Amino acid sequence: MTTLETTRPDATSRRTPALSERALLQYEVEQFLYEEAALLDARRYRDWLGLLADDIHYWMPIRRTVTLSDLDLEFTRPGEMAFFDDDREMLEMRVRKLEAGSAWSEDPPSRSRHFVSNVRLLEIDRDEVTVEACFQLCRSRLNSEASTWVGRRIDVLRRDGEAFRLARRQLFLDQTIILSTNMSTIF
Amino acid sequence: MADGTQVAHAWTKAEILSLFDPATGKLDRRVLSDEGIYQLELERIFARGWNFMCHESQLKGPGDYLISYIGEDQVIVVRDEEGGINVLLNTCRHRGNALCRAEQGRAKSFVCSYHGWNYALDGRLIGVPGQKTYYHDELDRSRLGLARARVENYLGFYFATLADDAPPLYDYLGDVGRTGLGMVCAHGDVEVVAGVQKNIVDCNWKIAVDNLFDWYHVPYSHVSAHTAGFFDIAAILHPKNQMVMLGEWGHAIGGPAIPREMQAQIDAMSDEQREAASRAIENSPRLRPRQATELMGPIGVRSQGHPNIFPNLWITLDGAQLCLRLPRGPSATELWWFTVVPKAAPPALKRRLVSMATHFFGPAGLLEQDDGENWSQSTRAARGVASRSLGQHLSMGLGHGEVVVGANDERFVEGLVSEHGQRWLYRAWTEWMAAHDWADLEANHSPPPAGVI
Repeated sequence: MTTLETTRPDATSRRTPALSERALLQYEVEQFLYEEAALLDARRYRDWLGLLADDIHYWMPIRRTVTLSDLDLEFTRPGEMAFFDDDREMLEMRVRKLEAGSAWSEDPPSRSRHFVSNVRLLEIDRDEVTVEACFQLCRSRLNSEASTWVGRRIDVLRRDGEAFRLARRQLFLDQTIILSTNMSTIF
Repeated sequence: MADGTQVAHAWTKAEILSLFDPATGKLDRRVLSDEGIYQLELERIFARGWNFMCHESQLKGPGDYLISYIGEDQVIVVRDEEGGINVLLNTCRHRGNALCRAEQGRAKSFVCSYHGWNYALDGRLIGVPGQKTYYHDELDRSRLGLARARVENYLGFYFATLADDAPPLYDYLGDVGRTGLGMVCAHGDVEVVAGVQKNIVDCNWKIAVDNLFDWYHVPYSHVSAHTAGFFDIAAILHPKNQMVMLGEWGHAIGGPAIPREMQAQIDAMSDEQREAASRAIENSPRLRPRQATELMGPIGVRSQGHPNIFPNLWITLDGAQLCLRLPRGPSATELWWFTVVPKAAPPALKRRLVSMATHFFGPAGLLEQDDGENWSQSTRAARGVASRSLGQHLSMGLGHGEVVVGANDERFVEGLVSEHGQRWLYRAWTEWMAAHDWADLEANHSPPPAGVI
């Protein structure tokens, strides 16, 4: 059975552009992802919201420690419980909460560093690019708290004129029990 | 010692009873950080009480299992071929190795990865490599099954205890515990939605538990979620319509309640009328159907608050979620969130309940984020030499509450936001901690009071 964690290594694009075209697209996508990470690390949440498509789905299922024979149970599925299962409205609420001046879990604010690597273009459409990447989010809080969240994510970037908008983000965390007091940071 | 008791602890009965003073609401802060007290809690509270394991819907067929805990004892909760649910200590009788490393799954039997001892789903030792050769057929397998906890269920919620002398679960829950689980089933039979959110907070487990009775913190701790437009504090708090129900063994329910006159109007409505009225009032708890009164009692059915089944099972979101607070040392607690939906609910309602549960609580929940931060800092800031010598202050409403005795012997206090629930919790806690066994606890615990508290 295919699990959510399984990437099709032979994932072929619907049309196969020339190498020069793919390299350019790879560059554009990576720059978008780095720019996005920089906005979050700089706490420019309003600007970050500007990168999101109106119909964004932002989702982090729950992962479970399971045996090889039960790998189909590793992740919760859409509609089941999740850590994040957000539409644009919910993400805007998260940002308003961060800005409220009374979000005690983020005041003093966390210092975060979003690392994105191993970027691969899984599918290239006329309007959308499906991107797989590894992520590492390091959060330093107060004087003694340090959290590191590592995982794999699948993003769908949609063309919007010269720019991209983030239309879907699926975050597959490597942790099962979250080893932190909270996840008050945007991934 | 062979019975698992710690060899030495310095806390005498009198010292333990002095850790909380119900007359002033002062709690000794050492209960939040002392290692000796923590070890005693594992023995006298968690190993002795009934601990929530799972709901029957989580284990559908034979061999379905999940891992849970009784204190820090890890257990396998598994359905066997006969359909029964067993709770087995997850430690091989040979050298102690953990048999199960997964959180959940499906098994035909449990084989130890160290030397291959094989246990049936009911814990019987059914295979030992080298039984005939190396052991000369002298090993009495019948005496080497996995250690089993006592298991009982109420409304499909399974609990386990390591104490042979504990009262039956039904009696242990009492009126208040049964009302709490009744709240979960008020709209009909439920099933657990796949996915238990788990995270670890560096707080003492009791801070998380006493917080569930604390409706005083809601407008301040959670103001950012209100400001962000996520929820309306006024719609859920009702600070003047609060009710605290006090139950035996430390169970309690605290929080907003439907006023008596309003409940009388609801009682006169048919289930269809209640559904229609619920649809008309957006973001308000769904009116409970008639059967809820049987499950929760005529007083309990008015509660829209938070039941806690002593020691560590919180029921919230009008019964849509259960949260276990598992001790992991004096300064660490694992939070496990179970979400339920009525089996018969229409898909749109199920989606709404799941969405609510996802966004309120859990480590990324818009309310829970700030709770974790406060609990962690409350544990940390209260453990220094000077800081821990100051008492925790739990005096709100002291002397201003009148415990009314209901027609079915319910004990409840109505009025303003108060700390009656927290005081009841800590009073029970000292009694559990001071008692050597169930007989001692039964003889020396406080029954739920009546009159002024």
